Amino acid sequence: MNHENRIFSWKGIPRSSRIIIITTMIIVVLITPNLAEGYYESSWEQVEKRSENNYNSAIIDENGDAWVFGDNGEIIFGDKIEQWMNFESPTNENLVTAYANNERIVAAGNNGVVIYKEYNSEEWVEIKMETQIDINSISMNSNDEIFVVSDNGAIWCFKQDNWIEIESLVSEKLNDIVFEGERGLISGSSGLILGSENNGENWEIRDTPNEVASSDIISIDFYGINRGYAITSSGEILKSTQEELTTTVGYNWYLKEIESENQSTSLDINLTSLEVLSTTKILLSGDNGYIALSKDGGNIVTPQLLSIEGDFSINDIAMKNAFVGIIVGDNGTILYTENGGEDSAVGFEIIDLSDFSEFVDFTKDNLLEGLKATVKIVIFGILLGFFIGIALAMCKTAPTTLKQMIEGDLERTLTLFWIIIPSTLFCTRIYGSGLGILSLSGLIILFSLLNYYINKNKIEKEGFLGISIPNRHRNNLIRILGLTLLIGMPLIGKWEIKGGIELIYTAISEFYNFHLGSNTFKLSAQIAYIFAPIGNPSEFMRLILGVGLTYLGLLFLTTNGTFSKKKIPYGKLVLISILWVIILTEIFVDSDSSGDKITSWFDLGWRLFLVLIGLLVTKRILPKEIKSVLKNSNDYTLTIEPWKIRPLQTIATLYTDFFRNTPLLVQFMFIHFGLQLGKHIQNIGLDLTSDLIAISSLLGPLDSLLHPIIDYISGSLFGPGKRSYLSAIFALGLNSAAYQCETIRGAIAAIPSGQMEAGRSIGLTYMGTMRLIILPQAIRICIPPLGNEMVNLVLNSSLASVIAYTELTRQGKLVVAITFQIFWTWGMVMIAYFVVTWSLALLLRRLEEKTRIPGLGISGGN
Amino acid sequence: MEEIVLDIENLEKIYPGGVHAVRGISFNVKKGESVAIIGSSGSGKSTVLRCINRLIEPTKGTIKLNNQIINNPMADVNDIRSKIGMVFQSFELFSHLTVLDNITLGLRHVRGMKKEEAEKSALKVLERVDMLDRTKAFPGNLSGGQKQRVAIARALAMHPDVILFDEPTSALDPELIGSVLQTIRSLADEGMTMVIVTHEINFARDVADRIIYMDKGVIAEQGPSEIIESPKSERLKQFLSSMNEEK
Ligand SMILES: Nc1ncnc2c1ncn2[C@@H]1O[C@H](COP(=O)(O)OP(=O)(O)OP(=O)(O)O)[C@@H](O)[C@H]1O
Ligand SMILES: [Mg+2]
Repeated sequence: MNHENRIFSWKGIPRSSRIIIITTMIIVVLITPNLAEGYYESSWEQVEKRSENNYNSAIIDENGDAWVFGDNGEIIFGDKIEQWMNFESPTNENLVTAYANNERIVAAGNNGVVIYKEYNSEEWVEIKMETQIDINSISMNSNDEIFVVSDNGAIWCFKQDNWIEIESLVSEKLNDIVFEGERGLISGSSGLILGSENNGENWEIRDTPNEVASSDIISIDFYGINRGYAITSSGEILKSTQEELTTTVGYNWYLKEIESENQSTSLDINLTSLEVLSTTKILLSGDNGYIALSKDGGNIVTPQLLSIEGDFSINDIAMKNAFVGIIVGDNGTILYTENGGEDSAVGFEIIDLSDFSEFVDFTKDNLLEGLKATVKIVIFGILLGFFIGIALAMCKTAPTTLKQMIEGDLERTLTLFWIIIPSTLFCTRIYGSGLGILSLSGLIILFSLLNYYINKNKIEKEGFLGISIPNRHRNNLIRILGLTLLIGMPLIGKWEIKGGIELIYTAISEFYNFHLGSNTFKLSAQIAYIFAPIGNPSEFMRLILGVGLTYLGLLFLTTNGTFSKKKIPYGKLVLISILWVIILTEIFVDSDSSGDKITSWFDLGWRLFLVLIGLLVTKRILPKEIKSVLKNSNDYTLTIEPWKIRPLQTIATLYTDFFRNTPLLVQFMFIHFGLQLGKHIQNIGLDLTSDLIAISSLLGPLDSLLHPIIDYISGSLFGPGKRSYLSAIFALGLNSAAYQCETIRGAIAAIPSGQMEAGRSIGLTYMGTMRLIILPQAIRICIPPLGNEMVNLVLNSSLASVIAYTELTRQGKLVVAITFQIFWTWGMVMIAYFVVTWSLALLLRRLEEKTRIPGLGISGGN
Repeated sequence: MEEIVLDIENLEKIYPGGVHAVRGISFNVKKGESVAIIGSSGSGKSTVLRCINRLIEPTKGTIKLNNQIINNPMADVNDIRSKIGMVFQSFELFSHLTVLDNITLGLRHVRGMKKEEAEKSALKVLERVDMLDRTKAFPGNLSGGQKQRVAIARALAMHPDVILFDEPTSALDPELIGSVLQTIRSLADEGMTMVIVTHEINFARDVADRIIYMDKGVIAEQGPSEIIESPKSERLKQFLSSMNEEK
């Protein structure tokens, strides 16, 4: 390669200078200080230990005093949460739960122990239950009646000095009970939430998401009347909001996709307690000293520091207000905060976002995340686009005509239509799409391999799979195939495959029911039907399939074995008659409003224009004077060559035309929100995963190797929160495929036809020649334009922000929303994009040089 | 009786546009024989050759290779082609592969040979065409004559029953023609079965065992190479004299 010809050549620099440059760069990077220094400190301050008992529950009463309840009946009193002392306890049982209202404080624990203290009394009094159940949670309703919940669905109420058991209709373990006025909520195991609207007299089961059906909802809490939260012991956060004006809070629960966990729905922490500080601010605690804060209702959950080493469980949180409160845990741990538990920043008290270095430090993580997200969809998008693009380009250039499929490859075609497609459909319907895809690819591979081995060493091929249909039967079999395509075929039991005619019929009547064309026959009114595909997409797909099948069916059914042109006598006349019927209807038939009267100059112009068009088309199609019509009918014959159709080319052309003629932004939104492609692919992916895992579990020792791999791949592609990611990849990939296809097709067309002939003349198959000779040369030619496509794809990836995929542009928007530094943010985003595309371009340039064929291209000196 | 390798009967070809390029010709080629086809431009010589290895489908007629009909839909066209070598006027080497890889490609992917085995037999044929010194070169860096010799080697490597040459020297400069013709001549001496379409009348006379003169899609005259000295038909006489004028 010619280094002298280039303006800048890395290799042109002497070796010693190169080493110096690299070392200098490394040193510069190493000695550059972090732009802003500082660290965080826990806001939780330890209260002096009073015992080694585990503390299970804490409460802050109306006077602002803290109460902590622990094992062996220990009660600790925190006067104004400052002075701590032990308080005499009437019981030795473990106390696990407590509650306070403006009359009294109650606590409860194992073996049915319930104690209370009035504010004006100095004594704790026990009201023991006769049944010695272990109480899990205690609360009081607006009538000051005490409620406790326990295992096996037990709810007890203390009213008029008596314990009454309340019907709960469930047998799950109940973990938590809470009241807000007359409204009560209870959470339990197996994803159970009970609700009551009448002070706890009746409880009913509330809907919870399927995903938590096996989780233990450990804690539940209200904030005011418009927000409810619940957590599970497996780290999920449930949220309930008031939906419109009708459904109040506590009815609709949905699983929060936690943005800080990559849209996963679980924190992967064994959570123990939840405290709602404001509508959107919540504190969570869990095992191993986990305490976390979310300021936006569980979107971003940030673990906070503790001032002590913790592999102990934090069991309860009690807050006086949004800032002052305590947490209690195992081994006598009590921690106190005045800052809502939030870490305090030391060393950079206030971030000065108008200082560039601090701004960069504050935002670089976000932008790096965004960059990573962008690169991910770009890489997958490019790969997807490239492979689909090649496939499409090969479809477009494939010479396979219907004639060849039927004449030369009848056996294969019959196997496809009579065995492979029906069994795939059968599998899909019964076992789901995962196995459907597996069986389709499995069958195709199986049959191809079988065919290969059977015909391996034969000069005269014996058809497909060793079966060759004798000439005298071929026509009849083609006709029978045509018939099946037209009227379908019954399968086992009620499963049947519909034929083209039925598909068209049902689809058309479905569309007719839309009544889009008003009540007139005018073409301009019927034009509304072009939107019908969106009204019922699946029916539209069936219509297309139906038309295709009917066309093939009719063609096959009427074959006479010659596969020649078809002549339709008077075909042109029929076409012209149809044209004139449409034009005349348009002009003269009553429309709902204006009648057939000419109402404006524009109307008159339109009608004249239609007539003119009609005349022009007629003149073009009919070569001779109309008067000779009946004398020489041959001139009016329409000739079509139905067997020359190339099915693969047709499909590929439809695809590329569609994707190249609609805006990418709309494609993004249609694919993600309309088609919900991400969701469907996720479902199919999960289906496939479970099938693969089932298969791998049959493999014995290999399973322990395969299982984690399958899990990992499936998790990173189809895991929770990956919907917009999948949609983005597919929107980008499918769109880019259409453009890459055209580029590659152009390159294939640029390879001299002699190359294909030469390849075939040494005995390579069409696909073999394509793979070994044409594509390697074509891809080399189209590296520069493909590079263009790829750079375009990177730039287009910014559109993924409209479907809530947090890539670079979206991160930029978020950063602007937080920092208001518009110039810097977008500047940084722009530089990040430039770095990506530029390195891609460099890479491609390098690739182009590497793959250049010696002796080709421009030469001849300077 | 001598073994007939290639037997063509009543071959006709009408191109899609309606051009009646070949109007029913019959001839056969015996084992070890080299047949030259001459004729003016557009007389259908290339069409005949391309029909023989089914690069185009004949409209009518039968073509038999070793007594098997090869132009029916059931025949394995790839296998047949691998038994019929073809050398093109414009070489058609695979420009992204080295000389050696150009030749091993077919051996490996059609004959299923291992790489080393294929290279060994490739080197043998390269020796026959005297191209051993440029095995690692790319076609773009070869002279025309060298290219054509590599193309001949590529066809030879497959051990075909017959090799078809379509004007192997027409794209070459006069001084390069010699080496290619020399190669073909030595193949003829070795007993290779060949069909050669050529405009080199003298070469045809020297090398070919039999000469077929085609005109407007039919065989106007055929016979041993002496017919060039003493043509019977008027048309061949005219053709030969016009060729001499060009010289
Ligand atoms: N692909 C094609 N489609 C239509 N007509 C063709 C095609 N190829 C060749 N022809 C026509 O068929 C006739 C015979 O062509 P052919 O290439 O066989 O001639 P030729 O004898 O090889 O001529 P030359 O010596 O110039 O190579 C010519 O009239 C030519 O125009
Ligand atoms: Mg020719």
